[in-house]
Amino acid sequence: MRLPLGTIAGARSGDKGGDANLGVWVRTDEAYAWLSKELTVARLKELLPEAGEVVRYELPNLRALNFVLRGLLGDGVASSTRFDPQAKALGEWLRSRHVEIPEALL
Amino acid sequence: MIRIGNASGFYGDRLGAVREMLEGGELDVLTGDYLAELTMLILGRDRMRDASLGYARTFLRQMEDCLGLAVERGVTIVANAGGLNPLGLAEAIEKLGLGAKIGVVSGDDLRADFPESLTANAYLGAWGIAECVKAGADVVVTGRVTDASLVVGPAAAHHGWARDDWDALAGATVVGHVLECGTQATGGNYSFFTSLDVDRPGFPIAEIEADGSAVVTKHDGTGGAVTVDTVTAQLLYEIGDPAYLGPDVTSHFDTIALEPHARGVRISGVRGSPPPETLKVCLNSLGGFRNGTTFVLTGLDVDAKADLVRRQLETALGPDGLTWTLARTHQPDADTEETASALLHATIKTPDAKRAKAFSRTAIELALGSYPGFHVTAPPSDGTPFGVYRAAYVPRDRVQHQATLPDGKVITV
Repeated sequence: MRLPLGTIAGARSGDKGGDANLGVWVRTDEAYAWLSKELTVARLKELLPEAGEVVRYELPNLRALNFVLRGLLGDGVASSTRFDPQAKALGEWLRSRHVEIPEALL
Repeated sequence: MIRIGNASGFYGDRLGAVREMLEGGELDVLTGDYLAELTMLILGRDRMRDASLGYARTFLRQMEDCLGLAVERGVTIVANAGGLNPLGLAEAIEKLGLGAKIGVVSGDDLRADFPESLTANAYLGAWGIAECVKAGADVVVTGRVTDASLVVGPAAAHHGWARDDWDALAGATVVGHVLECGTQATGGNYSFFTSLDVDRPGFPIAEIEADGSAVVTKHDGTGGAVTVDTVTAQLLYEIGDPAYLGPDVTSHFDTIALEPHARGVRISGVRGSPPPETLKVCLNSLGGFRNGTTFVLTGLDVDAKADLVRRQLETALGPDGLTWTLARTHQPDADTEETASALLHATIKTPDAKRAKAFSRTAIELALGSYPGFHVTAPPSDGTPFGVYRAAYVPRDRVQHQATLPDGKVITV
């Protein structure tokens, strides 16, 4: 079903200098198997077109993926002219994007 | 087991949290994190105005109110509120006249090595704090130690960990990471907030065992919740590679095991390995001046309105250093004025303070000669200085990590 990713996934995001980090997690092993296949770097960039260089890390023990979005915040929070200069709401933006979620996971 | 709480996740967090945590139940140590990359810049500007400042002043108020209570209850306070001036903060606490035994951790200030920077601070580890705690300090104030060190230091002192007890140190580092942002571990800023009562989340506590495993909990009767999900959310905050580098240990986030516990969440299984040979340094320099305003574009011809005001401002001021973003928040045929409006943000960043100030005058001069419906959400200011953050790495032996014990003895860690 086409639904917001946040129907089944939580997220938290923040800043590290000029980079943003975006952690996404789900609550069952089945959901993680789906998430880790669905949310590739290419797919993340489709969902968040503002992203440039992205690195993805897997944390299966937390059923989580962690993305680092390089350079999204320019020279850091104090100088960034970006809307949301600390990337605090990047995760909530991602959760609001609509994706095709298998019904078995709902 | 040692019971370590947190009462602050940033400079500006709930002022009453120190009292809440001291009065709310049992604790051995109460920590507070007051520093962030941006905070170092703010403190740097404080210090430019008055060399005796440069520390988190709210912490001093909290100590004036609560340090006596902490001593009476046998709770050791550990905070990085010293910022750029931990010895100055210690002096100010001394002047409160409460007779508390104060330990200080310093040596992070590397301005001599980075003279072009306004602030230059190495991220120190936990061992200076551990020395102060072992020496019987009632309160330990530090400069830029890593946030997790506030937890690792007292846990290492209590359990007698060695410098190469990698797994225990990594376990405590992970626990420190969970605690360092205060209520972000207990349901604050949490994606599934609608499933919890998060109106006033309590601050987190960790009960840390000798092997570095812990139960994360909070005082009875406080709001929010500690669940596998709230802890997972905080573990994912501001991390990069799962091999999480710190000054004392590399903590492997892909080995963390979380399980529900009657009083919260148990964290175990964390593996550690030796830290890198270098220490990270947080550098802030003044990048110039910034100013900005938001033009409200209502109704028809939003793009043409944006083009007009942009052309006008760039012609009058010159385009250098101007950034424009148009938030297309307007809806057609809207039934409120606000939802009929788009927002055009204009920002200027410039090395020239006068040019930042001229931005305001130039923008306001357009008020009767631009697009129909011209107004701004807030008038521009005179402009403010902005900082540029950069990280650097230095060999460990360039840094003199020092602990000043309550008896005045200074030891290099």
